[in-house]
Amino acid sequence: MILALYLAIAATVAAGVYLALSRDLFRCVVGLAVLGGGVNLLLFAAGRLGPLAPPVMAAGEPALAAGAANPLPQALVLTAIVIGFALLAFSLVLAARLVKAAVFEDSDRLRATEPPPKDAVKPEVLD
Amino acid sequence: MTAGHAHHDGGVPTWPWAALLPLAAFLALVWGLARHDLPWHLTLPWVPSLGVELAFRVDGLSALMLLLVTGIGALVFVYADGYLEHEPRRGRLFLLLALFMLAMVGAVSADHLLVLFLFWELTSLLSFLLVGFNHEDARARAGARQALFITLGGGLALLAGFLLLAQMAGSWSLREVIAQGPALAQDPRLPAALVLVMIGAFTKSAQFPFHFWLPNAMAAPTPVSAYLHSATLVKLGIYLLARLDPAFNDLPLWEIGLIGTGALTAVWAAALALRERDLKRILARTTVAALGTLTLLVGLPNPGAGLAVVAFLFAHALYKAPLFMVAGNIDHATGTRVIDHLMGLRRAMPWTAAVAILAGLSMAGLPLSFGFVAKDVVSVAKADADLINLVSYSLVAVNAVAVAVAGVAAIRVFWGTAEHPLGRIREVSWKMLLPPLVITLVGLEAEFLPDLNAPLLIAAAQAVSPGAVFEVSASYQFGSLLTATEITLALGLVLFLAWDRLHRAWRRLLWLDRHGPAAGFEHLLHAIPRLAAWLTRHLQHGRLAGYARLTLVALLALGAAAWLLDAPGWPAALATPAQGAAWLVASLLILAGAGAAVLLRDRLALLMASGLVGYGSAVLFLFAGAPDLAFTQFAVETVLVVVAAAVLPHFRRQSPELSEPRLRNGLIALAAGLGSLALLLSLEARPLDPALSDWFARTSLPEAHGRNVVNVIIVDFRALDTLGEIAVVAFSLLAALPLLAGLRNRGAGT
Repeated sequence: MILALYLAIAATVAAGVYLALSRDLFRCVVGLAVLGGGVNLLLFAAGRLGPLAPPVMAAGEPALAAGAANPLPQALVLTAIVIGFALLAFSLVLAARLVKAAVFEDSDRLRATEPPPKDAVKPEVLD
Repeated sequence: MTAGHAHHDGGVPTWPWAALLPLAAFLALVWGLARHDLPWHLTLPWVPSLGVELAFRVDGLSALMLLLVTGIGALVFVYADGYLEHEPRRGRLFLLLALFMLAMVGAVSADHLLVLFLFWELTSLLSFLLVGFNHEDARARAGARQALFITLGGGLALLAGFLLLAQMAGSWSLREVIAQGPALAQDPRLPAALVLVMIGAFTKSAQFPFHFWLPNAMAAPTPVSAYLHSATLVKLGIYLLARLDPAFNDLPLWEIGLIGTGALTAVWAAALALRERDLKRILARTTVAALGTLTLLVGLPNPGAGLAVVAFLFAHALYKAPLFMVAGNIDHATGTRVIDHLMGLRRAMPWTAAVAILAGLSMAGLPLSFGFVAKDVVSVAKADADLINLVSYSLVAVNAVAVAVAGVAAIRVFWGTAEHPLGRIREVSWKMLLPPLVITLVGLEAEFLPDLNAPLLIAAAQAVSPGAVFEVSASYQFGSLLTATEITLALGLVLFLAWDRLHRAWRRLLWLDRHGPAAGFEHLLHAIPRLAAWLTRHLQHGRLAGYARLTLVALLALGAAAWLLDAPGWPAALATPAQGAAWLVASLLILAGAGAAVLLRDRLALLMASGLVGYGSAVLFLFAGAPDLAFTQFAVETVLVVVAAAVLPHFRRQSPELSEPRLRNGLIALAAGLGSLALLLSLEARPLDPALSDWFARTSLPEAHGRNVVNVIIVDFRALDTLGEIAVVAFSLLAALPLLAGLRNRGAGT
């Protein structure tokens, strides 16, 4: 069972990388989101899966019960999910704005800030 | 310095007293030599924690070099004062010359290897500043840069060699290394150390293939050429080789390296001297030839070679420095150094002509001059060593060229009738005549009163060949030696008479300029910016996907390297979770989402596939004891639908078919996936360190009064991080707002 989960995590990372390497801006951004999700799962699994009780103390008990899940990776992943969401939302808007300005979605052709060089040796800025 | 005449205002202060510094050093040295026996020691603590101390030791060889450095230095100061009469920046020249003299003094008397290296590199740096003194002249700048690159680069090789030698000998002391020299022969590191030291010495003393910087350094003012490039700086490499010779004399590597390089340098430089028309460059080529001869002599296994080395070194300094000054005088008086334009100067410049004749005699090795003694000794050393005949013959040719060059410098430019009279030429001032005259007279004195400097030369020779007994004699030895001298002189005369014809023939071989070591060096210099540009083009190409590929490949390579260095191993068995079915469902959801995201080209479908991965994760969180995560993930995935609905209309419905390296991207993705799988499995094999988790579980109630540990961590223990996180979300919203406004405004173009 847990091997299936590990395979799913690995597949998510691979799919995210594959999409992120695309020249299509939209696929690239979605790829980043998928890759982020895969890394979140990896981080979560690194804290060991097994105990099923949430890391919440019952009323009247001074400390966490022995069967509770590891709280540390949960705290980290929670932060990562929120930050990843902000990144994805902003990237989507930025990509849409870029596509609107440039009329195409090919990231190789978005070269307003890094124009192709003319001279074989000298960098562009020194001319 | 014709340009200097423009400032004929007489307002430039003269610096005759500047010569007092080297003169005082010279006199103190002579006084010390008369009063105290060699060797002298001086050790001052410097960096005791690193074992570096300012250790100096002066023996015969050092004393000879010191006398040359300070004695010729004093006269060069006087000469420079006359030569740079109208140069407003000559204070700078005197400062640099004085610093150079101090660096030389330190280099030839240092006993600590690192201190020697330090002074060695200082001489290179000061040589750079002195050669580039006329920095408005592009040739001076190029020559200075070339000299700097080659000698500093060689200096680095020297440092590496010194470090190896010190490691092997277990001591930083030069004397200690030499004493242990024969014992080091078995060490496998010795060949590397010797090659590195030889490279250092060869670059400094302009040996093939590093010889070309010396002629190009002739763009320096003539006092600098006379001081650095004939008498002192270029002898430093020879000094070091001679100093180390007692330790490594028997090694074939040392012997072959020195004799081979020296002979090649001497022949090559002598041949190239015939290609030059500039008097200074002709002299520089013969200096390289003399340095080659000296290297060869150091390499000779015969103990008599020690005397030959020091005698020739001494003699060469005493005739080459005055000849450079003669060239400077001619340049100063006529404005040119090209020998085609110079004829019949003896009437206008009788004193310079007299100096040139005396120094030229010494260079040609004629009797009545110290040069003859030196050459005599050189012949003896060669005969004793039973050297390969070819090397002997080639040295005869080299000496013949020296004779011819002496003829050009001393006779050709002063006698004969000028084809193009240069107008009114005046003899230079006494400041430019006295120094070369004094140095030349010292050379002659060495011939007539050998007792005066014989003890010095013998003491120096004993440092090179310890235990040998020497005798300096100038007596004629009939037989083969005299014959060799006669052949040399006759051949030199022929070369002198045929100079112009030979020159024209040589000059036509243009491939030498295109493919020689000098051209190779220039190619190398130009290749560096080209290589940098090529690298920039391929790393900084402006394509996003390429950057991402490069970054990922580098990361994966780092991970693979870490794995190879410390393989973590595999788990014996995988734990079986209690909620197996729920996890399996979550895994299948995630897998389906990932697969669909790769395969689907419709944008809305792609977005939904990525949402599937998110919902799958949320299901997993829900059944793995992380309800907070599950709720957050659900919320995020839902809000994303809203965002996507806002931006999707701005993209085309389907992603266009762009040409992409799918196989390469797929391989990188596969490697990333396999890497994360390996990481997960290997984590299973390692014990979990629960220290932090336990600490949070223990303290969250008593210290933070919270029962939900995850929430307590986020809002209490790591409250500042959470504040930052909130700020990030807020900033991304702020940044997105104007972009959204731009998207709404459809008519505005950009």
